[in-house]
Amino acid sequence: MNTSCAATLTRNADHWVGRFVAMASPCEILVDDVQASLAQQVLDVVASEAWRIERKYSRYRTDSAVHRINDSAGSETVVDAECANLLDFAATLTRLSEGAFDITSGVLRKAWTFDGGNHVPSQAQIDALLASVGWHRVEWQRPVLQLQAGMQIDFGGIGKEYAVDSAADQVERIAPGLSCLINFGGDVAVRNARPDGKPWRVGIENCTRMGAAERVVQLSRGALATSGDARRFVFRDGHRYSHILDARTGWPVRNAPHSITVAADTCTQAGTLTTLAMLKGCNAESLLRESGAQYWLQ
Amino acid sequence: MKKLPFCLVLLGLAGCAGVQPWERDVLARPEMSLDNAPLEAAIDDHIYFSKEASSGGRGFGGGGCGCN
Amino acid sequence: MKNNDNLNAALAAATCALLGSAVAAPVAAQEESSGWSFDSTLLYYGESDDRVRDISAAVAAQRDFGDERKFSATLTADTLTGASASGAIALDRPQTFTSPSGRAVYTTAAGAVPLDDTFLDTRFALNASWTQPLARLYTVSAGVGFSTEYDYTHLGANLSLARDFNKRNTTLSAGVAWSQDDVDPVGGRPIPLAQMLDVGNDSNKRNGGESKDVLDLLLGFTQVLNRTTVLRVNYSYSDSSGYLNDPYKLLSVVDPLTGDTLARVPIGQGPDGVYLFESRPDARTKQSLYAEVKHAFGTPVMHFAYRYMTDDWGIDSHTGEVRLRWPLGDGYIEPQLRYYTQSAADFYRASLVNGAALPRYASADFRLGDFDATTVGVKYGHGTTGGNEWSIRAEYYQQTGSVPQEQIIGNQARREQYPDLSAVIVQFGYRFRL
Repeated sequence: MNTSCAATLTRNADHWVGRFVAMASPCEILVDDVQASLAQQVLDVVASEAWRIERKYSRYRTDSAVHRINDSAGSETVVDAECANLLDFAATLTRLSEGAFDITSGVLRKAWTFDGGNHVPSQAQIDALLASVGWHRVEWQRPVLQLQAGMQIDFGGIGKEYAVDSAADQVERIAPGLSCLINFGGDVAVRNARPDGKPWRVGIENCTRMGAAERVVQLSRGALATSGDARRFVFRDGHRYSHILDARTGWPVRNAPHSITVAADTCTQAGTLTTLAMLKGCNAESLLRESGAQYWLQ
Repeated sequence: MKKLPFCLVLLGLAGCAGVQPWERDVLARPEMSLDNAPLEAAIDDHIYFSKEASSGGRGFGGGGCGCN
Repeated sequence: MKNNDNLNAALAAATCALLGSAVAAPVAAQEESSGWSFDSTLLYYGESDDRVRDISAAVAAQRDFGDERKFSATLTADTLTGASASGAIALDRPQTFTSPSGRAVYTTAAGAVPLDDTFLDTRFALNASWTQPLARLYTVSAGVGFSTEYDYTHLGANLSLARDFNKRNTTLSAGVAWSQDDVDPVGGRPIPLAQMLDVGNDSNKRNGGESKDVLDLLLGFTQVLNRTTVLRVNYSYSDSSGYLNDPYKLLSVVDPLTGDTLARVPIGQGPDGVYLFESRPDARTKQSLYAEVKHAFGTPVMHFAYRYMTDDWGIDSHTGEVRLRWPLGDGYIEPQLRYYTQSAADFYRASLVNGAALPRYASADFRLGDFDATTVGVKYGHGTTGGNEWSIRAEYYQQTGSVPQEQIIGNQARREQYPDLSAVIVQFGYRFRL
């Protein structure tokens, strides 16, 4: 996949808008009123970080760390500190979700194509793929990772939110205290509040009417992450199957909300809550309520 | 009067019952709020006030109409 | 996922480990909304036998200003038509009464329980209140109310204070409410126990209105019992003074042997029997104890409430109510049951006996009598994507009462002494936010 390595900077009324494409999503950064040169620096740093993470963790790129790991399934590989942190985090999520979330579940993609139709694979197809799914089948002893032959890992479920937080860190390093909003395809973080106290306004798209924002959230500080099925689901026997697969069964979760948006201190935390909630299907709201986090459902 | 021992029971309850702030998930549900349908409750109170000799209990006595 | 109490802590720790030492400040996010939320309702109340019919509409608006400060206002309009039992007893012959205005007569068929003259009354009511924190753990609330109908005006105010204890698991509250009502009956105020006279003769009435003052005190205690249960107990004290009579209610004066109403010959148009207007004390003190519990059994929620009331008119009442809310499809279904029982007021009389000394207070109003009432109903509610909710409720209310044995005289025994009351209630509701 080609990433467009172009980042454009334009000026709005009282802030800068930087745009680029990364991780197959439209990305933008809104920077509070500063000199053009600083805004450009901030955009460069954010775009570079986004592309770096994409290069390193994309399963499509032959030069990515993930590709290297997947290629050597069956034998040991050594990973670096950042990758080890992500693997530890993913292992924690697998534990917290009792196995429903699993970064080895990517192979199930071969059976499910979420194009709005009603194609459902056979149980035999799913069972065959399930043999290669399961974190319990992985030998992970930091920094050595060993997948069984045929297994693959995929950081798709946590990569984008992590990238947002990591990019925010990079901005904080070159311009501490600067208020900017980082938005990678709907995963948003604001590290510092604006000096005049005005919040950044984030529109949450209405699932049933594409393009029309249903709600506006005023984000002064913190992060928002959204998980939704608007364009990727399967309808069968009166149930709506979202594109999020339960790694234990190989089937998608049933009757989860159309869309969940969560507000949390970091984008990773917000994104994790939306994922864990979606995996609960019809009980998503219960988990969100218990977490005490602010959330919006559709 | 039989009200005094009842008060002691209430104070006793206050001491040993309760939940931590992070255990308020179920209580936070709108249907668990004691006043989750105030308009409906007010309308019911008004109907019963005009047909019966008792009123109030949940809130103030209500009334304020010529219906009783 | 078990141990959801630890989910948040575990997530926070895991995120911290992943992102390194960067400690993000706590999130500050809020949905942009006008802060207004509304609740609206349309209600139909209809009694059987062409008695009272009421249609009412109400809208409640609430504005949240943040920091627990709220303003709310409710506007209600209702139209009442029909008639209730006037208190006169049924007879084997038709009966004629002078209407409250004193300008016409109306007749009741033989064997039927006499009802008031049919009337149409429209009432408007407006209530507003403001709530805000007073200090940490203290909340204060103040409200005013006003209502008007053709013969009655009400003006009231209330004030209450609440304090949280024990990590907000316990709340104690105290409140006081005052109201001053003005009664200006159609055709003037009847002199208590005066006789109903012919059309055009208003010597039994006094002109001008009268007032009624009410003072209410409320002490409340709310307690979280456990993760799924909450309890509230209220004690109320209410003191009414002033004009407490119902100006349209009567008593029949009956023969001590036959139990039939004494006949009277009107000059021109007027009543053909001896009827006296009722008389109630000019003060009433009520006390009540109310307790309610809400408990969640998983997703369904049960609500149970009980109230005991006693007053210095000799009325004691018990009320028990239970509701159970079950999820149903995308909404919920909530069956409800209420049981009410009250004892008669000391001065309740089915009729007055001719020749016996006239009591100081007497009323044949069935609402002061000895009766049981049951309500069965069901409510269905459905949420919509915007967080709004519509609901529909249907209930059936039935009252059955009885007259004390010693008050039934002669022929009264073979007629209906205490008419059953049954009513159907249908209500639509819609809650929405802007």
